Amino acid sequence: MGEVIVITSGKGGVGKTTTTANLGVGLVLAKKKVVLIDADIGLRNLDVVMGLENRIVYDLVDVVEGHCRVKQALIRDKRFENLFLLPAAQTRDKNAVSPEQMKKLSLELKEEYDFILVDCPAGIEQGFRNAIAGADRALIVTTPEVSAVRDADRIIGLLEAAEIKTFHLIINRLRPEMVKRGDMLDIDDILEILAIDLIGVIPDDEKIIISTNRGEQVAANANDSPAGKAYTNIVRRLLGETVPIMDFYQNQSFFSRLKKFIGLGG
Amino acid sequence: MNKYAVEFKGTKEGVTIYCLEDADFAEILSDLAAKLQQRSSFFGDATVSIDVGNRELTDEEREALMETITKNSRLRLKDIFSSQERGPAVTSAKRQGEMEDLALDGFTEGRALVIKRTLRSGQYIRFPGHVIVLGDVNPGAEIAADGDIYVFGTLRGIAHAGMNGDRTASVVALRLAPTQLRIADIISRAPDHADLPDQPEYAYVQDLRIMIAAITAK
Repeated sequence: MGEVIVITSGKGGVGKTTTTANLGVGLVLAKKKVVLIDADIGLRNLDVVMGLENRIVYDLVDVVEGHCRVKQALIRDKRFENLFLLPAAQTRDKNAVSPEQMKKLSLELKEEYDFILVDCPAGIEQGFRNAIAGADRALIVTTPEVSAVRDADRIIGLLEAAEIKTFHLIINRLRPEMVKRGDMLDIDDILEILAIDLIGVIPDDEKIIISTNRGEQVAANANDSPAGKAYTNIVRRLLGETVPIMDFYQNQSFFSRLKKFIGLGG
Repeated sequence: MNKYAVEFKGTKEGVTIYCLEDADFAEILSDLAAKLQQRSSFFGDATVSIDVGNRELTDEEREALMETITKNSRLRLKDIFSSQERGPAVTSAKRQGEMEDLALDGFTEGRALVIKRTLRSGQYIRFPGHVIVLGDVNPGAEIAADGDIYVFGTLRGIAHAGMNGDRTASVVALRLAPTQLRIADIISRAPDHADLPDQPEYAYVQDLRIMIAAITAK
């Protein structure tokens, strides 16, 4: 039986789609069978980020409306044979799907795949409710900005209300040199407000933009970039390994301070 | 006429309807009828208790309440009670005169809502009594209480104490760093650049302004 993980944030543009794609690649490299679901109906992106846009025949709405079988709508990745995408419909809106339908779909996919990653749309309306409906676990993506942290807090409240018990935080686009200058929220500032467990920190990295535009993921070559390495570390933590958070500051005293926040879970 | 005279609160056992202290009985009936009509489909056939506060109801008044419930909803009435009858032990002790030689100055009693979790952005608590939070109140969260607000954690959101006009109400927090504080009709906002205080503080009204003072253990 697989696990359904929703990647959500509240605020748009913080890196949900990139995170979904990279964690998908990372999990496949760890020998798992993975489906990525784009739940952003009407504003789909995950297909573009995966470089699979031109292979879409059926989509999520076709599946829930019974126009095709799930298997027909799943698109196999170009490089990884155990990675599949269920794309969103572009010509419909969020109301074309209901939370019950998403739950049913999740249960069906869990039978055959190890991980189902759901890329949640921004916002807290119908699209959000659909995306979290079948989730066993949530990953909340935020950037070190006050607005993104505020929205993440709102999302955590809604996840608690929806009785999703397991959720972890991913801090994306950290710029250590800005934090050092005191111009950016630090990891512990964010954790102090949100008070949830951290599962990973992704440094700001231009390689992300370059690879995303090419339809590739940095996690495919983890050793080529800090972001790729950070995504791979999150994958290992998802699979239960204890991996320390990267030391972005090359500074022992900071590192020990950080460990206090991360705790044993690392 | 008051904007509202009754409040609904859902519990595991069903719905409790509170009649506010300063509302007169006619207001209670009309507000109750209006709210039931709005929400009867939401409540369905849940069981309901009515807390009439410290009123002593006549038989006619009890009947009028029951009739309003059955006419306007499918709720099943379980109980009409006065919260004084069910008041805390201190009440009965006081009644029996056991506390006569204790100066009651500085004592307040009343309903309190205890929240053992962090309130997050977008969450709003309205309660006709004191509110006690064992956790943080994050920016974007809001508490509105007729009584005092006590936060055993960091208060960064909005707190409105004494909402029914009580200027003696206060707001207490281990770290008092709210976006905005309101006590009764008096509002103050946080300075634009403030550091987190490093000790517990409380806010109260003096000369129509909200003052903040440290709580020190003496």
